[in-house]
Amino acid sequence: MKSSYMKFLIILMFLSGILQYSIFDLNWEYFRIVQAVHIISSIFIAVFLLIPYVNMHTYEFMIVKKAKSTSGILLGITLFLIIVSGIYLFFVGNRGGDAIGSLSFYLHLYGSFVLLYFLFSHTKKRFSSKPLVIMLFALSMTFTDSIYAKEKLTNIKIAEGADRYHNEDWTSSAKCKSCHEEIFNQWADSNHRHLVGTNPYYMVMENLAGADMGDEFRQWCMGCHNPSAVTTKQKRTTHEMNGSLMPDVLFESGSKRLLDDFKAHGNSNLEQGVSCVSCHRITEADSKGNSAYTLKVKDRKKYALEDSNSEIEQWLSEKFINSNPQVHKDSYSNKLYKKSSYCASCHDEFLPDESKRQVVSTFKEWEKSPFNNPNDPTKHKECIDCHMTYLKDGEFAPLKGRSSDGGVIKDDVKVHHFSGSNHFLSGLKSKEHEDQTLQLLRTSAKLDVDIKDSKLIVGVKNIGAGHHLPTGVSDFRELWLDITITDAHGKVVFSSGKLKKDGNLADDARPFMKVFGDDDGKPVGLLFWRYKKLLSDTRIPAGEKRVEIYDIKDAKELKHPLKAVVKLNFRIYPQWVTDAVKRAYPQLPNPPVVILNKIEKEF
Amino acid sequence: MKFFIGAFVFIVLLLFSVSVLLPKKEKRVFSDEQLREATLSRDMSSTPKNYDELLKILKTDEKNLFKEKVDLGRDLYFEKALSKNKDISCATCHIISKDLKDKNIYLDALTSKTNDKTDCVVCHLSDQSATDRFETSIGDAGRENPYHLNTLTTLNAALAKFQTWDGSVKSVQEQVGLSIKDASQMNLSEKKAVERLAKDNNYAKKFKEVYGELSFKNIEDAIAAFLNTLITRGDYDRFLDGDNSAMNPKAKKGLAHFLNFGCKGCHTGVSVGGQSIQKFPLRDYNSVVDVTNSFNESQKGREVATFDFNAKMYHPFPFENKGGFMGKNGERLFRVPMLRNVTKTSPYFHNGGVAKLREAVHLMGKHQLGMNLTNEQTDEIIEFLKALEGDVVEFDIPSKKANL
Repeated sequence: MKSSYMKFLIILMFLSGILQYSIFDLNWEYFRIVQAVHIISSIFIAVFLLIPYVNMHTYEFMIVKKAKSTSGILLGITLFLIIVSGIYLFFVGNRGGDAIGSLSFYLHLYGSFVLLYFLFSHTKKRFSSKPLVIMLFALSMTFTDSIYAKEKLTNIKIAEGADRYHNEDWTSSAKCKSCHEEIFNQWADSNHRHLVGTNPYYMVMENLAGADMGDEFRQWCMGCHNPSAVTTKQKRTTHEMNGSLMPDVLFESGSKRLLDDFKAHGNSNLEQGVSCVSCHRITEADSKGNSAYTLKVKDRKKYALEDSNSEIEQWLSEKFINSNPQVHKDSYSNKLYKKSSYCASCHDEFLPDESKRQVVSTFKEWEKSPFNNPNDPTKHKECIDCHMTYLKDGEFAPLKGRSSDGGVIKDDVKVHHFSGSNHFLSGLKSKEHEDQTLQLLRTSAKLDVDIKDSKLIVGVKNIGAGHHLPTGVSDFRELWLDITITDAHGKVVFSSGKLKKDGNLADDARPFMKVFGDDDGKPVGLLFWRYKKLLSDTRIPAGEKRVEIYDIKDAKELKHPLKAVVKLNFRIYPQWVTDAVKRAYPQLPNPPVVILNKIEKEF
Repeated sequence: MKFFIGAFVFIVLLLFSVSVLLPKKEKRVFSDEQLREATLSRDMSSTPKNYDELLKILKTDEKNLFKEKVDLGRDLYFEKALSKNKDISCATCHIISKDLKDKNIYLDALTSKTNDKTDCVVCHLSDQSATDRFETSIGDAGRENPYHLNTLTTLNAALAKFQTWDGSVKSVQEQVGLSIKDASQMNLSEKKAVERLAKDNNYAKKFKEVYGELSFKNIEDAIAAFLNTLITRGDYDRFLDGDNSAMNPKAKKGLAHFLNFGCKGCHTGVSVGGQSIQKFPLRDYNSVVDVTNSFNESQKGREVATFDFNAKMYHPFPFENKGGFMGKNGERLFRVPMLRNVTKTSPYFHNGGVAKLREAVHLMGKHQLGMNLTNEQTDEIIEFLKALEGDVVEFDIPSKKANL
């Protein structure tokens, strides 16, 4: 083929490449097409036309005709570098984790100008292309910074008129695994992943809410638990079936079923619950009401072939992302995500009536706590500083690592275990999750004990939590003091906070919790939406101390020294709640009692 | 070579342009009155509101349907003695609660100390769907249906002309007997059933009162009488009875699609289905190259509707052929399923191969109508199907004595 054809093809590739350059700020719809065309056609042209042609050409002129051409050699070297860097960008990409990636990116970008220069100079009839090339160079240098410009907080509202999404608008989290494997695996066994069909407590409670208040009421629960189902106008949360059996989702780690389902059905089967996209496509969030956040799921920048079901096309789309991932990063991150107000949209919960009584007020508790201290950055802690930070040996130990395979190594990669208090459900699936949560729980409180004038005085101080202890659904949490006092003979002379035979907490225990009452002042039990009056609130606010005083009978006659063993016990769900859930899910084990803190003292 | 390239380009262009070139059939747009009229024009109508209408629609009279008989039928429907091991009743698979007025049924199941139910029923009883939502029915001694067939709902079953998946049974009465005797269902012989009930004084008395004697035929008849009263009414019925506000605009659009696209050609009658036996799938798309809507972006993401080289094995159904059931005479002939309460009776198709209603609607559109429904059309049709959901009508059934 004639050399002019080759030049034409190279210029075409140059143009399609340079169009993606950030200074052109190409409309996204065109960008994704141009990118795909550039990459795919470059591969075909290079492999089938350019490389064979250059081989023939070099052989003909340098070996057969023994011609000497400096510009030819330079052109060849540049072309080689560009092809090599292109191959690297395609197969490995510019993911940020290795210097070669960004080297390839710049080599590919600036090298193309050099290539163009030599291409023009490597002609028989010389013409002055210098001014053009110098101009292009100058142009490129002025805009160098704009390539990795910092993202800015966007304030986009949800597209008006869109009254619902469709299944295909959501992207299954399983898709994210191929590049974000570690984060996916953390999330896959976390409580955020298991908020709906795989969570027996939730399923029973949503059904109960539906039965008690009408099916419409389920939306109240689903707003935070199941954003994808709410926005696709589903009336209720559903669970997986394995033929005629309920699969063992309670114990299955790594969200295997989700991965299988994605393989079989793509995005046409909706992933319920809080998926990657439901958090990472939130644009606005506040604490003014239930699930008060704005989603922008449909209208996002997708690279060519991203939604394809074919494996080859999916593989290609990943290559497109990796070679120039900035748009992908910008699509799924937001400065908002580091702020506590982001979490507030769901971790503050109100009754859906005019009273706006707060069922959960974790964010408001944090706002008033010493942890919210914007004036002193050393004391200020946002939600993610505790709940998305890795723990080691009971201390926060920011994890050095990557959020995407081959990405930049970050000093404090935000882990997606979402450690909170529920060590139980995530612990059934993964020991690591259980361990992280227990470590976090054990940073929360300090105990002190004293015996004075036949009174036992126990102090519990909330030292680690930036909110009440316990917080969240504290009507369904048990945090209490388990006390045993033995005399000199080892005989138990006083005890409190033991479990009854049926597993329930004994009546003498003094749990730190909220108790909701209905209109008549009776405890609401499971039906917490009937909450009208707060019957009691014994939770411990952040930084504060609660003192419990117990009378010891006949203290003076006891044989000293007395040995007091005080444990701060925690159980994620009371036995009577688990008993109810077990009716529907007989395979559910009982949640264990865990000791958060323990103190032993002799008097 | 040039010829092949030309031919290829021509074919691609043709495929692109075919949807533009084909004449577009105007779809009728209905007003509320026209919609009602069009729906009622072919056997479709609302379900009975009262006892007299019920008798009329069942083509029977008060001598055959009275309170004592229905009560006896209800007792038998929940009677575990009618199964070989005395552990299952009709209501085990066709789950419904005995007292439909009891609103605390779920909370009681969760908290009452005396309740021994510990499984799916606890949650699903409140669906009142009269089916078990399993892929396949599970009968005596945990035996699954040999063809992996799905339990059908007993709600409105009395209104269907054909019973069971292949339509081989013509009445609920006949099916009651078959279900009791079937080895993979209740597995009890006629003789044993009568013997067991005869031992129970209560039943002996009731049968005497209602029929004069206890026989297997009368057992069938009594349960069938109860099934005759399991009729549901919902928004769709209220709309047909003249209440324009009963169905929301989307559901009305869905109903219009239902008429326009030809769904009602098969899903007809008061029960919206169950009136005929039809072939499924009508179009099986087993050709080597499946080009259905390969150029329709909106349908991407669906596993069956994309351009595909069909290298896979011949597949009789657009879902896994679990159980290998091929319908009547092995010709893929099936009774048209009833669509009333379809939102509560997943999974779908004879072997429960499709879990989601959306997918089921999509498959029906593709394979029976030869069209790929858009997302919006599917939304609207599903909205209409939701309007077919209903509660069991509480008929005021007079007692036998009142007729005498």
